[in-house]
Amino acid sequence: MAAPLAPEMTPGTVVREESELDRPWVTVVWDDPVNLMTYVTFVLQELFGYDEATATKLMLQVHHEGKAIVSSGPRERMEHDTSRLHAYGLWASYQRDS
Amino acid sequence: MRPFRRRGDQVVAGLTDAESAVVTLLLDQLEELLAEDAPADDPVVGRLFPTGHATDAELARDYRELTGAALRQGKTEDLATVRATLPEHGGDVALAEDQARAWLRTTNDLRLALGTRLGITADVDHEASTSQEMTVYSWLTAVQGSLVDALVAGGGRRR
Repeated sequence: MAAPLAPEMTPGTVVREESELDRPWVTVVWDDPVNLMTYVTFVLQELFGYDEATATKLMLQVHHEGKAIVSSGPRERMEHDTSRLHAYGLWASYQRDS
Repeated sequence: MRPFRRRGDQVVAGLTDAESAVVTLLLDQLEELLAEDAPADDPVVGRLFPTGHATDAELARDYRELTGAALRQGKTEDLATVRATLPEHGGDVALAEDQARAWLRTTNDLRLALGTRLGITADVDHEASTSQEMTVYSWLTAVQGSLVDALVAGGGRRR
């Protein structure tokens, strides 16, 4: 005679809490009317070690869609990445991944 | 201006006397904007030191406290490097890799400052404008563009 086990938390709650913890932070580069396309590509290669094709793809995403995620990870690292981009004058910010 | 070209381990450009004078003037103006007492509500200062987080004021404050001083110091050191490598009355600008990056960042800051003042908002044909500031802006664009091309051509990319 086994009563059904009542879960202490609904699965939905568990999933939500886990995803809140696991959800990484991201660094976003925003479109900017001043920065040269070749310069943005160069900076993305220089700072993140992307190959030219990847850096160009990200730059074009910024240009056409208004923004692109250029790195993701713990908050402290995204603060650092944002400041490195600001040192090069790119318009960047960090946020929780949405 | 003779655009930047790679020459061995260096990238080299040539400036006229008048161009050196203009850059010196621009550096003086930028130095004031990089000072700690520069007005924070100046849109150019806002563009040189952007917010780290667009919507969360607390995160934005954390970011400024954490990174603001180092960012200011880095920009100031870059500016000093450009001053030190700028020929006073025109001539060759010959830059090693690290100096070239200081020039990249400072010429970009100068373009951001001028671009903000000029209200440049989209990729329209700015060349059509004949104002003196726009002429300087276009000239800086050519300088920086040739510097990027010279560094890329030399495989100068490092981490």
